[in-house]
Amino acid sequence: MTRFVVGRLLLFVGGLAVASVLIFATLRLLPGDVAQAIAGTTGSPEQVAALRQQLGLDRPVVVQYLDWAGGLVRLDLGESLVTGTPVIDEVLDKLAVTLPLAALSLVFGLLIGIPLGVTSALRRGRASGVVLGTGAQLLAAVPVVWAGMLLIGVFAVTLRLLPTQGFPADGWSEPGRALRSLVLPALTIGIVEGAVLLRFTRSAALGALDQDYVRTAAANGMTRSRALVKHGLPNVMLSVVSILGLQVAGLIVSAVVIEQLFTLPGLGRMLVTDVGRRDLTKVQGELMTLTTLVLFIGLVIDLVHRRLDPRLREGDR
Amino acid sequence: MRTLPLSAAVAALLLVVTGCSSASSPDGSGTPDPDATVTVGLVLEPSDLDIRTTAGIALDQVLIDNVYQGLVGRTQDNEIRDVLAASHTVSDDGLTYTFTLHDGVTFHDGAAMTADDVVWSLSQVKDDASLANHADLAAVSTITAPAADTVVLTLSRPDSSLLFDLTGRAGLVLQQSATNDLSTTANGTGPFELTSWRQGDNLQLGRFDDYWGTPAKVAGVTFRYVTDPSAAINASISGDVDVQTAVDATLSSQLDGVDGITLEKGRTTDKYTLAFNNAVAPFTDAKVRKALRLAIDNDALIAAVGGSAVDQGGPIPELDPGYEDLTSVDAYDPDEAKSLLAEAGHDGDLSLTLEYPNVYPTAIGDVLTTQLKAVGVTLTVQQVDFSTWLDDVYVNKDFELSMVNHAETHDFSNWANPDYYWGYDSAPVQQLYAESIAATDPQVADEKLAEAAKIVSDDAPAEWLYTATTLTAIHDGVTGFPTSSTTTRLDLADLATTE
Repeated sequence: MTRFVVGRLLLFVGGLAVASVLIFATLRLLPGDVAQAIAGTTGSPEQVAALRQQLGLDRPVVVQYLDWAGGLVRLDLGESLVTGTPVIDEVLDKLAVTLPLAALSLVFGLLIGIPLGVTSALRRGRASGVVLGTGAQLLAAVPVVWAGMLLIGVFAVTLRLLPTQGFPADGWSEPGRALRSLVLPALTIGIVEGAVLLRFTRSAALGALDQDYVRTAAANGMTRSRALVKHGLPNVMLSVVSILGLQVAGLIVSAVVIEQLFTLPGLGRMLVTDVGRRDLTKVQGELMTLTTLVLFIGLVIDLVHRRLDPRLREGDR
Repeated sequence: MRTLPLSAAVAALLLVVTGCSSASSPDGSGTPDPDATVTVGLVLEPSDLDIRTTAGIALDQVLIDNVYQGLVGRTQDNEIRDVLAASHTVSDDGLTYTFTLHDGVTFHDGAAMTADDVVWSLSQVKDDASLANHADLAAVSTITAPAADTVVLTLSRPDSSLLFDLTGRAGLVLQQSATNDLSTTANGTGPFELTSWRQGDNLQLGRFDDYWGTPAKVAGVTFRYVTDPSAAINASISGDVDVQTAVDATLSSQLDGVDGITLEKGRTTDKYTLAFNNAVAPFTDAKVRKALRLAIDNDALIAAVGGSAVDQGGPIPELDPGYEDLTSVDAYDPDEAKSLLAEAGHDGDLSLTLEYPNVYPTAIGDVLTTQLKAVGVTLTVQQVDFSTWLDDVYVNKDFELSMVNHAETHDFSNWANPDYYWGYDSAPVQQLYAESIAATDPQVADEKLAEAAKIVSDDAPAEWLYTATTLTAIHDGVTGFPTSSTTTRLDLADLATTE
């Protein structure tokens, strides 16, 4: 187990190092720079040159990279090229929207996907099972933006139950209001993610239903559904956990899109804006944060999965 | 997984959804509410609040007039008015500008504004070439304060555009002794103080209680930045914003028949300009340039972007000095376009590339492609992000056709600048522009501009697609919200709302 954990940690750190080079190099390929973006169409070439020197953009690329990567090791993401504020502050501020959004989406996804997945497996061959299966297939194919527009139309514009977009101007100081503004976007992502989870849970549950232990439990007088829930579900959940790592990465990507649609001041929306402004230090910090999150969740899920599933630990002995 | 905690979680969420009531909005009648905060939806957010270095009208829009003020300002119809100056005079030779300052003006930090602050503010822009709008004060030779309430500018040569330039950043008065960080805070003299800025989401202003003039009629204004046009419409319908500026005309029909919302039309100087790269072939040939202008049906294009625009036949829009109706110059005539192209040696074999920023409607590229195809020109459209456009077109001049909205007002000088990105170099236009600037009689200055504009239009260095008409969705009960020139200025001194 220790060897596994150490190996997995090394993979995590190595992944981050490779990501930092890729992120830095790719962004240098973008045309245009922040000095010109600040000066706009009214600035003179002298103004642009002065800004470029002031921002350190005239230094060699390798020096700029080492400077930035050195900061990363000390958890210092540098300063915004546009406003001069520390990137870490901005990132933490935006994560206060993006992380709750992702977490709430995951909750919705699990609430929708797992119960309905099990139900649909139990009702295999019956009309209700077919409806659930087909419905999930359809929903999983729906682009998240389209689902969002539909939900806004119904819940916000027509029924006026929830805000159409935006986040309270004073953030989380009123948690109820802040949470309300996250419900629709999280539901949007949750429905689409839930449909994927539903299909996965369904096939895992169908596999479990065919297992000997379920058949034996049924022979001992349990109903099939009770046998599945009592004995089959731990195995189903193991399979679900194993794909959760991938799902969470997908969830964060969806959050980037959904923040645009719902005008939420999260990391995704900031990322899009900063790329437009060529505030590369900020973009690098944002991408590194997202990469770290995804790699870290992958790491945690791998460790948890190994802990939960005795079969994976066999090799350690 | 157990059932009970699950249903509890669902119940808790339902409570969150239904339990809290939505924020109240003004109901359209009653007395003005001095404690109200008005939420205004805007599109473009400033990247930084430094009024001295950060370019862009997004910053002027929220801060000038409301937070920062100048000696003079402008109305929404572009007329010059006194602001921090109680009055001003210009000498007959156009070389001396005398401003008498208002009494009792204080900065938001409580300090009194002095003539020295004014001299320092203007001198800063005049002396530092790295500051925005430095060139506006090129003709100014001295800035002095001969008395505690008087500031005098002397010029080395007459400059008929100076007074208007002073309504912009060059004329703003900041506090000499202030040490605040201009990037994130502001210390001005306006009716509103900047209370907070959450980048990527909102910017808030609060009434400045020690304001020297008539105090603001609302306690505060929250600007929300909504970039997605349909999100903006939804925010307006649901009451999340009290006022939404720059409503997308193609979606505005969604607001028809919505109770409690009025859609106001306003004039702008937003000039959607299809620029030709005049320095390279085939645009060095006037026949090709004219043919392209003749091939474009502006009315059809305006219809495609939602109808909220007017035809603009030359470089100067209706709100700017020197305007005259030039829409008859090279008006839509596809047959004439074809014969001009044939004369120029392009018989259906001309292929051109148009590069324009993706903040503008896709419909523009689509319509232009169709219209040019009808005269045998194959158009390839590339929509890029704004920074890419800046690099390719504005800086490197590596383009054939470009389209952007030149939103700035009084910007005819671009046509008299041979180094500008479109590479239009006309000696007569440069001469007339110089004469207009040197004129001491405003009427002569305008006539020279009009004369120059006619030459520019005849030379066809670009096609002026349209001047945008801006749409503002205003909820009942909100009054005093400006509706014209809202992309460049948003003076909220008269904004009020009823309870």
